[in-house]
Amino acid sequence: MSFLRRHLALVLGLVFGACLLVAPAVAERGTLNDLWNMAFFVVLASAWNLLGGFAGQVSLGYSAFVGIGAYTTVLLAKTGWSPWLTLPVGAALAVAFSIVVGLPTFRLRGPYFTIATIGVGEAVRVIASGLEFTGGSSGVRMPPGTFEFGGNYYAMAGLALLTLALVAWLRQHAFGLSLEAIRQDIDAAEALGVHSTRAKLEAHAISAGLVAIAGGLFATNFQYISPGSVFDFRLSLTIVLMPIVGGMGTVVGPVLGAMLFSYLQIKLLASPALRDSYLFIYGGLLIAVMLFEPRGIVGLGERLLGFWARWRTPALAEAGRAG
Amino acid sequence: MQKLVVVALNSLLAAGLYATMSYGLAVIYGVMRIINLAHAGLMMLAAYATFALNDRFGLDPFLSLLVVAPAFFLLGMALYATLIRWLPRSSAGPSMQSLLLLFGVWLVLQNLAYAIWGGDTQSILTPYTMESVEVLGGRFGIPQILVFGVSIVSLVGLNLVLRRTFLGKAIRAVTQNRDAAMLAGVNAGRIAAVAFGLGTAFAAMAGSMLSTLYAFTPDFGRSFLLKAFCIIVLGGMESFTGVAVGALVLAFIENFASAYTSIPVSYEDAISFTLLVVVLVAAPGGLPGLWRMLDRRAVAR
Repeated sequence: MSFLRRHLALVLGLVFGACLLVAPAVAERGTLNDLWNMAFFVVLASAWNLLGGFAGQVSLGYSAFVGIGAYTTVLLAKTGWSPWLTLPVGAALAVAFSIVVGLPTFRLRGPYFTIATIGVGEAVRVIASGLEFTGGSSGVRMPPGTFEFGGNYYAMAGLALLTLALVAWLRQHAFGLSLEAIRQDIDAAEALGVHSTRAKLEAHAISAGLVAIAGGLFATNFQYISPGSVFDFRLSLTIVLMPIVGGMGTVVGPVLGAMLFSYLQIKLLASPALRDSYLFIYGGLLIAVMLFEPRGIVGLGERLLGFWARWRTPALAEAGRAG
Repeated sequence: MQKLVVVALNSLLAAGLYATMSYGLAVIYGVMRIINLAHAGLMMLAAYATFALNDRFGLDPFLSLLVVAPAFFLLGMALYATLIRWLPRSSAGPSMQSLLLLFGVWLVLQNLAYAIWGGDTQSILTPYTMESVEVLGGRFGIPQILVFGVSIVSLVGLNLVLRRTFLGKAIRAVTQNRDAAMLAGVNAGRIAAVAFGLGTAFAAMAGSMLSTLYAFTPDFGRSFLLKAFCIIVLGGMESFTGVAVGALVLAFIENFASAYTSIPVSYEDAISFTLLVVVLVAAPGGLPGLWRMLDRRAVAR
């Protein structure tokens, strides 16, 4: 019991992973599609959280990395590459792009960085629609015979678990602590010897690589991509909202956010009335979280746990009232 | 030579609109240290309001400013009272929380427009939309000229309010030093509400005028938000003259780039973005900061 309590996160993670990996044996195809989508969202949200949550650098341009991964996979697969071999190439390109973008924009702080990333996202989308080898705004299709759901499912589930493990490990590590220090006070972090620009670039690069691999798997699974699907502002928006609503800067938060948003997406696609008001829902969630609980679902949960603990032990409640 | 004059005049016409568009962001930033991401949504909504007034009652887009601007002033005050004032205040710089909150407002406004007017592209046609006059060998559209005129009138009016009235002086005082202004008896909370209303009204005027020049959808305004942000960064974030100079600089660079280089029109937005990054990185204080720096160097020499 004490083991369970001490390693609650680890146990939960293992249960979550086991469910994801056992699912193909028991669940139907429709459920598996939903789980695939959830795993995709877990990768995007957790990877974004590394830079946006831990280091506090909120970027609105992450669809660029999904797009780079997806386009690399499709364009290389068309020349005869195996889709699996294209994944590391897409990741490498995304890492390179993250550094090119990061070098100038990481000189900006907080909200200024955020606004610059809106520009980066727009610029990438406009350029991808204008280029010829990307098929312009009509998009490109994977070559036939590359579709295989089973393998793709395991790859996405594995990537999600790997991302979670990596993020949880990095958080304990000095690297995670330096990101946390940057979020709290960048000047103080610098004074303590944290090379802030380097730490931010590294976090950006790691998350860009992970997101690009997810983008490559996305392209293989959906077989067709266009600037409207992978470079869309809406995708960037979902990537940002999941960790924010779930709880920025925590390991569990983005997973909760990903679950919520993949569920929302299923509901949204099922009902036309809801589909037309998804921005009301997204915007309303964002407003509610920022006004009432900037730490998202995790913060709300902690608050409720605090109430419960105080209610259960009257002495603590007394102390709380006195203090 | 003649081409140069025409391009310069075009830039000047564009700069008037850009200044109106940016001033809304600047006044809100100055008083509250908040970057109003909902600015784009407010411009879009004002464009639709103008469209609706024109469609339903046949009201001229420029006359409708008299209705739209006060209505949006009240809308801005209402937004402040219901949402903005509950945010924790940050003295150092704009907080992520306020940025994301206003981002949420922008999304809600977009959906509002989708719900009411649908996602189709709309535009406003008036009898003079296609008319133009010839000045110094170049042809200039009547709407462009009207937009420029209205922009100048509104900016001059605003400048008079800021310099001559108590309210304007209070706004400037809070911008310069909030604590000192409060010590001098300025009700900073009320000034913030008025400033948010003013910023919203200016966004609305810019949006209404944009609707006479461009077609729009509920997604409209993002590239103009980036331009406005670029301008206020150029202008040093909070000075009135700075905004005007920033607007001129951006308009000239854009127009000269499209007239004398082969950059395709669809990449025009990339110009403001590149300029934004260059300025933020090279001269974070904008043009006033750069000026001060050069001044200091000259003195040192």
